[in-house]
Amino acid sequence: MQLDAPERPRAVRAKLRTATCLLLTAVAPRFAHAADPPAPPVPASPPTSQIDLTGLFYSERIRVLEPTMRYTRTYSSGRSFFGQVSVDSVTGASPNGTLPTGRTQTVTSASGRSRSVSANSIPTVNFSDTRIALDGEWQQPVKMFAFSLGGHFSHEKDYQSEGVTGRVAIDLNHKLTTLSLGGGYNNDVVSPVGGTSVGMAPYGELTGAASNPKHVKTALVGVSQVLSRKWLVGVSASLSSEDGYLTDPYKALSIIDATTGIPLAQVSEQRPDTRQRRSVQGDSVYHFTSNILYLSYRRYWDDWGIGSHTIDARYRLPVTSAAFVEPHVRFYTQTAADFYRFGLVQGAPLPQYATSDYRMAGLQSVTLGATIGFAPGGRRRTSEWTVRAEYVGQFGDSSPPGTVGVQTRIDLFPAVNVFSMVVNYRFNR
Amino acid sequence: MKNHQRRRLRSVVALILCSGAAGCATVKPWDRDLLAKPEMQFVTCAQLHAIDEHVYFSKEASLGGSSLAGGGCGCN
Repeated sequence: MQLDAPERPRAVRAKLRTATCLLLTAVAPRFAHAADPPAPPVPASPPTSQIDLTGLFYSERIRVLEPTMRYTRTYSSGRSFFGQVSVDSVTGASPNGTLPTGRTQTVTSASGRSRSVSANSIPTVNFSDTRIALDGEWQQPVKMFAFSLGGHFSHEKDYQSEGVTGRVAIDLNHKLTTLSLGGGYNNDVVSPVGGTSVGMAPYGELTGAASNPKHVKTALVGVSQVLSRKWLVGVSASLSSEDGYLTDPYKALSIIDATTGIPLAQVSEQRPDTRQRRSVQGDSVYHFTSNILYLSYRRYWDDWGIGSHTIDARYRLPVTSAAFVEPHVRFYTQTAADFYRFGLVQGAPLPQYATSDYRMAGLQSVTLGATIGFAPGGRRRTSEWTVRAEYVGQFGDSSPPGTVGVQTRIDLFPAVNVFSMVVNYRFNR
Repeated sequence: MKNHQRRRLRSVVALILCSGAAGCATVKPWDRDLLAKPEMQFVTCAQLHAIDEHVYFSKEASLGGSSLAGGGCGCN
């Protein structure tokens, strides 16, 4: 910016100088000279309220309908609070971990619902559930610090979660650098419908426990940095420690004949009761002349042997001053857990831990989608609509090593195709 | 701590230090017009981000990144 270009008219130069001084005073009051006369008090602007109404429509083997309402109150001091309530309604069929038999079979869920599964299909069980979740967070800036404290509660018929989070952000280097430190704790209870299965025992054998505790502790450290007028980057690392009941109570494994591959029996899965997760994520936001590119990369690994890479890219294109289009693409790949087995072979000793949950297998995910945002009020932006449609495809090994007999002729990892749409309406009061 | 974990930790520290060193670049307050836009953030819509986290948590084995997500759901 050439504020003192000699060819500029004097009046314009004076106005620019005044505007610059005002701007400096506003954004960097701590640099004001001690001998300067005190600035006249600025009347505090009234607090503002913002309401977000969001609806998620999600479809694959299961269907999810999730309306959410969030209320955000922001004060002129920078203090803010939000409270959110959401209701998550899920119905559909979920794989129970067992293998196709090559013949039509009947599968019964933990709640006693039966369904017929065709010869070469992955067995699934019907289920439905409704989850209610409450979330809230309070933020308070104090000089160069910004503190936030959050709480979470959710309940569904077989799972309840209570959690707290705390975070502090520290502005450094004239607000060009922000250091963040945070932690969280979740105290959850798993109460399987039909009772808790004995791991690696015949499916249906119960421990007698009606509910099982699960605890999650999370720590996060991050730094974000302004690199230029157009470029913001950040890197963060997180550590999560879980203990308690980490097994999926509704998943079983088939025990197959070593030659024919035909399932002969089922045992309940069993996972370790501790898990250490680690991740490192890098983010970048770059403003071109008018478009904005968002990039992120996450590396994840845990002591169950799972490692993953995630690349996420979004590109925001303004259509008008009050509307934008934002294509989105995401790639994800993970390795299998050490104890993942597509099935167990009859006669071989049972392992201590095993799961055939496809989410613990090696897999790849691709997300393609786009978001459209527009503000009917034009530049005043009293309300905004955001509509997003996405496809997620998950792909894995359809014939993993060790398959024999009938299993070699069946696709053991049929592609999972997820279609989702989110509508968000935001208005200010 | 195993060797590969130590190497990863060193990489993270190096990344953070590099970010800090880049802070020597100066962007004056009156040049922060673009940075002040609400869309110049890593997460531009908290609602959409929370939904994303929930969907991916339910379909994949990974968790974490830039948010303090503890799961809070029996879906995985």
